[in-house]
Amino acid sequence: MSEILIHILVPVVIFGFIALFTLFAVYAERKIAGFVQDRLGPMETGKYGLLQTFADILKLLQKELINPKATDKALFIIAPIIIFVAVFIGYSVVPWAPDFIPANTNTGLFFIMAVVSIDALGILMAGWGSNNKYSLLGSIRAIAQMVSYEIPVGLSLIAAVMITQTLNLNEIAYNQGILSSESIKFLGIWDVTDVGGILAWNIFQAPHLIVVYIIFFVATLAECNRAPFDIPEAESELIGGFHTEYGGIRFAFIFLSEYAMMFLVAMLGVVIFLGGWNTPLPNIGGLKLADWTTGLVWGIFWTFAKSLIIVGVQMWIRWTLPRFRADQLMNLCWKVMIPIAFVCLAASGLWRILVMN
Amino acid sequence: MNLEVFLFYAFAMLAIGSALLVVSLKNTARALFLFFITLFSMAGLFLFALADFVAITQIMVYVGGVLILMIFAFMLSNKELLADLQNISGSFLSLPSWQSVLLAIGFFVVILIGLKEWNNDMPEWILSNIKSGDIILPNDNNIQQLGIKFMTQYVLPFEVISIFLLMALIGAAHLSRKEENR
Repeated sequence: MSEILIHILVPVVIFGFIALFTLFAVYAERKIAGFVQDRLGPMETGKYGLLQTFADILKLLQKELINPKATDKALFIIAPIIIFVAVFIGYSVVPWAPDFIPANTNTGLFFIMAVVSIDALGILMAGWGSNNKYSLLGSIRAIAQMVSYEIPVGLSLIAAVMITQTLNLNEIAYNQGILSSESIKFLGIWDVTDVGGILAWNIFQAPHLIVVYIIFFVATLAECNRAPFDIPEAESELIGGFHTEYGGIRFAFIFLSEYAMMFLVAMLGVVIFLGGWNTPLPNIGGLKLADWTTGLVWGIFWTFAKSLIIVGVQMWIRWTLPRFRADQLMNLCWKVMIPIAFVCLAASGLWRILVMN
Repeated sequence: MNLEVFLFYAFAMLAIGSALLVVSLKNTARALFLFFITLFSMAGLFLFALADFVAITQIMVYVGGVLILMIFAFMLSNKELLADLQNISGSFLSLPSWQSVLLAIGFFVVILIGLKEWNNDMPEWILSNIKSGDIILPNDNNIQQLGIKFMTQYVLPFEVISIFLLMALIGAAHLSRKEENR
């Protein structure tokens, strides 16, 4: 009985976390935008505008659900649910702390890749169901972009998995710190299994993994339709893209899934490349910083802090770079990132065979 | 009735029901989106065979790739073609293509024979494998076994499929290339 209760409790907690995260992320986004553009951002509601996003969500929740006449009603209603659920399921296999993971599966990484690709179907559904030129154009742009950028994401993940030798996200996180069961070598030379810290992270296990992480980061930015890759919802051309016709709580769910996706890809990058829940502080001689800062609470703290920093970078990029044109976007993906990812893939294979033996 | 049995029958019913709807719906767009449910519940059924890798691949390849391409093809085809598709005569006994009837009857006979020969006992080889402990458990890491099998026992089919996929890729690249001005 208690097992079933846990099975119910965990998704509820994750949902609560996503909702809370979205509220504060939207606030942070506005404040960062204000900072970048040399203005104050929200200041009116609450102290420093802290209550602004709560007011917004209250407004969204009590809005009437409008069904435009010409929509394909079934698709129109189901689409936001599919978009959100696709991202939500992804959280089920990402570890937060040592062995603190909703579902410890051997196929974790592969599972996330598959589940997130369902997201594209939901967007297509929303675009088609809205029966609106702008929505359809936006969704077709989104799909073209997501399907293309799935390839560099997949290739960069494979390049990392060739080094880690497992798809289990819990094990991947384990093998990047002092709790590792295998020996870790910093850049393939220096054994840092007992030193841990930032030196044991996957990104430093092979020099080309730094390039792989950059590819992963840029491609996932496109994957969650964030600026500078936000042509699917380019406000100045397409009004709002695929969610033009949505309002009220349905729009809230689309919005929620966008921010949930941001955090999910940030967390995935952290787990695979940046050490997961492992501490960045190494053991220096008698100063056992890594031993002191590893554990359940510390693990959650480090995962959260690292992911938030990555999300912060995503926001920073959004407000500093202009939007890519559609053809530039495709050029970047097919002519720059995929070839580099392939080279990194080959480098990973060689590194595994020649250096890590 | 425990949870696993209930889930199995739920997925099976979803798969059959949605597949029936896919072929009978007049609205092609909805039928295509419904096809997603068929594929998804098939993936669920694969999980019950302890083939989690196959299940995830099913979602990744069919939902993330094939289905989206199908919907794209549907959206980009012209209206007359679609109208033609949607105006199939509704009567049950019309036989626009007798080949499909033959095929359907053939498969039905296969199922009937299977049903006739089915009994509740497990075959000899399964019983002997259970006795010797040569079985896969839900917690086992299937991926490593799959990888080893691919590179040893099934290396020829694996390579043939790779070459076949490469051919398709080159063909697609060639077809989508712009004609050069001569």
